[in-house]
Amino acid sequence: MKINAFSKTYEGRKVLDMPEMELTSGKIYAVIGANGSGKSTLAKCLAGILTTDQKQQILSPDISVGYMPQKSYAFRMNVEKNIFLGSKDLIRAKKLMKDLQIEHLAKKSAAKLSGGETARMALGRVLMKTFDLLILDEPTAAMDMETTSLTENLLMEYCRETGCVLLLVTHSLQQARRVADEVFFYYKGKLVESGKKEHVLYSPEMEETQKFLKFYGE
Amino acid sequence: MQSALAKAVALILSADAELCNILSVTAKMSISSSLIALILGVPIGIWLGSSRFRGQSILLIINRTLMGMPPVVCGLIFYMLFSGVGPFGKWKWLFSVRIMILAQVVLILPIVVGNMETYVTGIAQTVKETAKGLGLSGWKTFFLLMNECVYQICSTYLLAFARSIAEVGAVSMVGGAIAWKTNVMTTAIMQYTNRGNFSLGIALGLILMTISLVVNILISVMQRRINR
Ligand SMILES: Nc1ncnc2c1ncn2[C@@H]1O[C@H](COP(=O)(O)OP(=O)(O)OP(=O)(O)O)[C@@H](O)[C@H]1O
Ligand SMILES: [Mg+2]
Repeated sequence: MKINAFSKTYEGRKVLDMPEMELTSGKIYAVIGANGSGKSTLAKCLAGILTTDQKQQILSPDISVGYMPQKSYAFRMNVEKNIFLGSKDLIRAKKLMKDLQIEHLAKKSAAKLSGGETARMALGRVLMKTFDLLILDEPTAAMDMETTSLTENLLMEYCRETGCVLLLVTHSLQQARRVADEVFFYYKGKLVESGKKEHVLYSPEMEETQKFLKFYGE
Repeated sequence: MQSALAKAVALILSADAELCNILSVTAKMSISSSLIALILGVPIGIWLGSSRFRGQSILLIINRTLMGMPPVVCGLIFYMLFSGVGPFGKWKWLFSVRIMILAQVVLILPIVVGNMETYVTGIAQTVKETAKGLGLSGWKTFFLLMNECVYQICSTYLLAFARSIAEVGAVSMVGGAIAWKTNVMTTAIMQYTNRGNFSLGIALGLILMTISLVVNILISVMQRRINR
């Protein structure tokens, strides 16, 4: 799967500059970087929500893209109906709700969920479908440790089974180490380092990456 | 004073014919005008709140200005347009319920639009991004957005209705407050007070206040639902 080079400028400031890239099916790519480094902007551009400076397609139009925003939204209906917005597949819904431990909330009004519960519901909703490229913007940021671990396993399983490319935006180095095959490290809108996680997360070449790793405890 | 109040209650209880006529004209005028304003204003408000285009801010400023238009100015404009010498004079609409509804729609429409626009602006972006992320179609997204607005639409309607029923400046100018024809509650209160007939005025005032109370209770219930 090829991604064309693109950039995004806000108010005259270039917040994201992306080189051309090639992604492989079934692999998990972690996108890491500090606050404001452009991770969400990258996600939104790829999801087709933001128009890029080049105003042209970044991805081939026959690639289906799923996206879960950084802030999960609960539609004004119960949890189950929210999940069914993704697709009407009853068996899949049951399985996902079980895996994400929200079965008991099925009939509850989605607006009344806690932050982490809303995130679990939103994740279940987007996983109801199969996409070629799935972009998740910090899906576990609001989740507790146990749910995070469940979610990580679920995501790895989802990728294996559907063969989709997963782009996982995350703040957690540990998470990137646990689930990613490859890692993109962003620094001030620039893709500073990318490649196998063994390389980027354990023995990076660039100074910015080394500093970032040090800051996060290693 | 006390006897006027007692007479007022008696008028209500006995379903006085003139009182009933005033109530039915009022109901016809305010329900029609608020419904028309709602049907026109909700789509415009949702559209203004959910899209970005050139000239949008100018439209919003114009709408905000219209929201604050003094009713008598609105009355004056329609009076001139529909009076004998005006461009629509031959329609003979002046001093009819029809033109009262028209004037009311012009007064209320900006309020409906503004109310919906403000609400939709707050949620449209997130709703659209979430829907797009799920690969939903444009129509499906629009219906989802509508569904998110249900309570807001209801509370906006009630607000529009309350404005319409309490308005006096425009309707008295274009309607003329003709007894048994275009007299509504507010204009009748003015009329009867001027004539020193307080009891009918008080009766109408009581009814108006009761309606207003009910409407406001409903609005606050809606608002609580919106705020989750
Ligand atoms: N609509 C906007 N208008 C102007 N600037 C914006 C807009 N959206 C984002 N930015 C800027 O673009 C930069 C990148 O933002 P982005 O949301 O992509 O960061 P991020 O890496 O996702 O950060 P975080 O870890 O906090 O989620 C930030 O400096 C931000 O201020
Ligand atoms: Mg972000």
